[in-house]
Order: sequence, then structure tokens, then C-alpha cells
Amino acid sequence: MSSFALDKVCRRVVIDPAFAAALREDPDATLRAARPPLGERERELLMAGDVGALGRMGANFFLLHQLARFELFGLTLELYARRIRAEYAPERARWAAEQAGE
Amino acid sequence: MAELVGALGIPHNPFTALGIARGEEAADESREHYARLAAALEQMRADTLVVFTTDHYNLFFELSVPIFAIGVAQSSSGPSDYPMLPQFDVAIDGELAAEIQSFLVAEGFDLGRSQEFALDHTILAPLGVIAPRMEVAIVPIWISSSMRPIPSAERCHSLGAALARAISSSGLQRRVAVAASGAFSFEVGGPRMSEDSHVGVPAPDWAIRVSELLAAGDVAQIVAETTPAQLAAAGNASGEILNWIAMLGSFEPRPASFIEPQRAEGHAYAAWALA
Repeated sequence: MSSFALDKVCRRVVIDPAFAAALREDPDATLRAARPPLGERERELLMAGDVGALGRMGANFFLLHQLARFELFGLTLELYARRIRAEYAPERARWAAEQAGE
Repeated sequence: MAELVGALGIPHNPFTALGIARGEEAADESREHYARLAAALEQMRADTLVVFTTDHYNLFFELSVPIFAIGVAQSSSGPSDYPMLPQFDVAIDGELAAEIQSFLVAEGFDLGRSQEFALDHTILAPLGVIAPRMEVAIVPIWISSSMRPIPSAERCHSLGAALARAISSSGLQRRVAVAASGAFSFEVGGPRMSEDSHVGVPAPDWAIRVSELLAAGDVAQIVAETTPAQLAAAGNASGEILNWIAMLGSFEPRPASFIEPQRAEGHAYAAWALA
């Protein structure tokens, strides 16, 4: 299931510098004030920088990676990538096997 | 009377443009390829560059996501999404853009109009490299090729063909070049990323296949092979090939005058001299 509320937060990080600054200053309050409201689980996962789990919930990956590009929630692009790769290790192994078998 | 004088296929990786701006050695190969595109554009002596591109969620999201849209304004600026890249003010050829929109809508393409917009890295990152004086006016045409649902390859090819008719029917004195921005296989931030980056090229063989077909001028085969399944396997930015297909629709199929694929980047640099 994709979440418009989550995708919108990720997008605003890029197009709304004041919003990005507020997320850096007080992430919890800023996420609670987001409209439409984020789900409780989405907010917890964002605060934890758990992009793997957010991906599993249907987040748009292009938008999700913007959180790392702007280094929010403790993320860097390197850490972001490591977490996505870990979460999707089973799929990645399958894709690699398929490519090798071609 | 307006005349279509050439076409370009332009990769837009913002980190490449950043590397070039910073004089990094790793960007040397790309710098050379961009120089070839710059020379091709120079030879075209174009007044206006119509660019088929993909909005990267910078313009369209909450209010509306048009499948096709055109920018009708006097000027713009950017790249809006990469403030660390050189920033530019650019002229928009609003007069030609308005004519194109009217023509395409009359032909059955429901092209939305955007009248105030910033341009993102997809246009101004590469243009900052190949035409930093920004002497050519821009007409952006956005194809919604990232956020699902996306239009079909056939539809985008037809859009390009209609654009060519719009240009040839215009009474404006313009030399017009058409460009496509984007890659054939690319993943940004998703599970198909590489082992050492947040981006990746999940289908490098597809990128080479497309490049070979471009070199041969076999546009019909590119359109036939650009299926939803192929796009899904080629990464979450692979829909950008639709920009190329629209560009290719604007002239009779022919081998590229210049083409240089970069397999590891999932894209190619290409040019067609048409006049």
C-alpha cells in the first residue's frame, strides 16, 4: 500500500526548504503536524530512519531517497543504500540468479 | 516558418554534472560526450530547444499529475532540485510553446499547460554543461514517465510525430531542435540499486540494445520492445526512454549522426542532424 502522506513529506523536503529545516530542528513535532496526517507506524519508521520498512509499506523509492540526500533522520545516502539492500536481500539474490541464468 | 533542424538525446545524471562543474577526473569521459552534444547543438544553430523530459516530482504531485504537459512562459530558472549545481535563468519560447499546445490539443493530445515553473536537473544539469550561456530558448514538454500510470511507447511516439507537424505548420521564424532527456535503465533509491551506490543500472544490456537500435535507426523496434515488463525490469527511472521515443517520433527514422552509449550508466549520448 502506498501512502500519499509519506510521499508528500519526502517531496516537500526537496521543494520546501523551510519544511526541511523544520524537520531538522524538530522532526517529531514536524511529522505530527504534517497534513494529511502520517500513520503512527509511518512516523515511527521515519524517526528511526527505517527506510527498508517504509519501502515495504509501499513508499515511492525515488521520493524516499530524498530523505537521505538531505541527510534527515540520521540518514546519509550510504546508510540509506545499506538499509535498502539489507531489507531487499532476498529479492536481490533472486534477481542476481535470474541474470546469471540468462 | 519554423523548421526542425536537429535532435539530441541527453543523459541528465546530476552527479555527473556536479563532477564536471567541480572539474573531477571521474567525469572526464562524460565531459567529452557532452562536448560532442554541444558541438552538434552549435551546428544546428537552433533558436529554440524543445525538450521532452520527466518531472522528478518537483512540479507535479499534489494538485495534478498530467500525463503530458507543456511549459508556456517567458522565462524560468533552475535546476530547482539541486541547489549545489550551477544555477541559471533561461528564456522560454512561450510563443512557440503556445502554438504547439494549441496544435497538439486540436490533434487529440490532451496536453496540460504550466505557466509558472522552475526547471529541474533533467534539463538544466546537462544544459549547464553543453550550453552554459543559455542562448537557446527552451520549450519543456513533460511526459509523466515516472509515476504510474505512464503513457505507452506508441502514444509517446505519436506525440513526437504531432510535435513535428506543429513545428512545420508554425509561421514563426524559428530553427527548432528537439531533445530527449534521460536514461534507458536506471534505479534511484530502490531495491535494484547497485552494491556500492544508492543508484544502479539494473538492465545494462537493455541500454546497449536501445543504443544499437538508435545507431541503426530502427525506431519501430525500440517502440515495440519498450513494454511495461521491460520498463519494470530496467529500474524506476527507466520510463525516461519515453522522452527519447517522443523525440524520435518527430522525424523520419534514420541512424544517429552521433551516438555514444555508457553501459555502466544505462544511457547514451546521441545527436541527429536534420537540416
